[in-house]
Amino acid sequence: MNQQTFESLYAGRWDQFAQWLERSGAARKQEAQSQGMASFDMPARYRELCQHLALARDRQYSADLIERLSGLALGGHQVLYGARSRSLDRARNFLRAGFPRAVRREWRFVWLAIALFFGPLAVITCAIPSHPDFAYVVLPADVIDSAQQMYGGEAKALGRKRAADTDVGMFGFYIFNNVRIGFQTFASGLLFGVGALFYLIFNGVFIGAFTGYIVDAGLAANFFSFTAGHSAFELLAICLSGAAGLKLGYALIAPGRLTRTAALRGAAAEAIPLVIGVAGMLLIAAGIEAFWSPRTFVAPIIKYAIGIAIWCLLGAYFLFAGRSHGS
Amino acid sequence: MLDTEREVPTPEGIELNLRLAGPVPRALAWSADLLLRAAAFAALSVPLRALGEVGSGIMLILWFALEWFYPTVCEVWFGGATPGKKALGLMVLQSDGTPVRLTASLIRNLLRGVDFLPFAYGFGLLSMLVNRDFQRLGDIAADTVVAYRESALKHGAIPEAAPLPPSKPLTLREQRLVLDLAARSPLLTVERARELAVLIPSVTGTQQPESALTRLLSIANYLIGRRT
Repeated sequence: MNQQTFESLYAGRWDQFAQWLERSGAARKQEAQSQGMASFDMPARYRELCQHLALARDRQYSADLIERLSGLALGGHQVLYGARSRSLDRARNFLRAGFPRAVRREWRFVWLAIALFFGPLAVITCAIPSHPDFAYVVLPADVIDSAQQMYGGEAKALGRKRAADTDVGMFGFYIFNNVRIGFQTFASGLLFGVGALFYLIFNGVFIGAFTGYIVDAGLAANFFSFTAGHSAFELLAICLSGAAGLKLGYALIAPGRLTRTAALRGAAAEAIPLVIGVAGMLLIAAGIEAFWSPRTFVAPIIKYAIGIAIWCLLGAYFLFAGRSHGS
Repeated sequence: MLDTEREVPTPEGIELNLRLAGPVPRALAWSADLLLRAAAFAALSVPLRALGEVGSGIMLILWFALEWFYPTVCEVWFGGATPGKKALGLMVLQSDGTPVRLTASLIRNLLRGVDFLPFAYGFGLLSMLVNRDFQRLGDIAADTVVAYRESALKHGAIPEAAPLPPSKPLTLREQRLVLDLAARSPLLTVERARELAVLIPSVTGTQQPESALTRLLSIANYLIGRRT
């Protein structure tokens, strides 16, 4: 068969295929519903097109024809193999089971990150009262200066450096700042884990020194009633983003039987649920930190109780959610 | 062979061709995106500034979203490319030729920060130059590539002539040769074009410089599907 016969035989079918591809996904779906799926048997038509392309290549037909057919095949390939499940379902499943399951699956990295973060935090917090000078080594001068404004007894809204700061303004700042740190902690794990290690330990030391300094300065009641509400979401999110980063780094250092590239790909795909979860947790933390934590009309004891309740609920979520199948 | 075209085998036993994009068009696309984002941010910040502290909070959220989610949202829900990439005819694909998936897009865009190190995409550039698929680190981790949307053949550039079928079937390589030369011929002096056309007598079937070039153009017209 020469090329012209070939073209005249099948050009109509290729045109139909091209038209079908041109319509956007939504229009296609609508049409399929109104006419029944049989109106265009996409997989069969795609296989036919692949056969034509293979024939055209084998018979050395003109470059133009081959180019056109491979363009159509590429489009068909994308539609056929790029089909995705509905994203709303996926989001619900992720929240109900996917996220806590991912956290439990990566328990080694999660516990390592918790140790790397809370270890220095606890040690430094406890050490500051006996070695108060260390706070000045770690904390910049403006942080120490602002502690009194943020947590002093006369503060109208806790945790604010300036009286003019509004809830919404601080909400934006917390999102901008904290989620970025979470993402950076994860991404810097690509540097053989060193970045994630650094962020975890640095944040542990910094927060520990600040907490120790605040306690030493006698501002503990205000400080803890401010941090109680959002601490669970924020601190655990830091640990989880660190765990995700450590996983990336570990895949590069010890890829096992895979190539480093393959190990990195696998690790990144497995770590990404943690990072998505971290972003969500930090958004919630930012909301609590901006709108609830600064309030002074609530007695500290109530804020402590709520904070402890959130810690317990979050812990239970990570330990137990999504354990059963199919529910 | 040193080539930017990558062949992807499919389950149907055919090979799809992806033309991968190198650092320069990708850097241009990124710059275009940067300008676009800066313009959007500047335009929106004017009314927001009037809102005072509340507005500054919204501005920070906006900045955050533009920095971290703009590429992913564009890639996953708007045809595999940010507006900058679209302007340069690029798109992001999985390396198996399927559309980029949400997780892969998130990975490649979250790891962008590491590609940016130590400054101005230093690691990313290094990675692209070493990697045969021009992948930056984020692409490697996400298993994605950046490819051109359109094919390389530019038919418009081939001068029109009466189409003539070649006297014998040409291999794909020979066809490419003919088409490339025909497309380049308007940029060359006539003498040079004739000199080159004479070099493939197996295709044109003549040693005569003038007729060799006209034959070659005619065959090229036939090959790109012009009839009559």
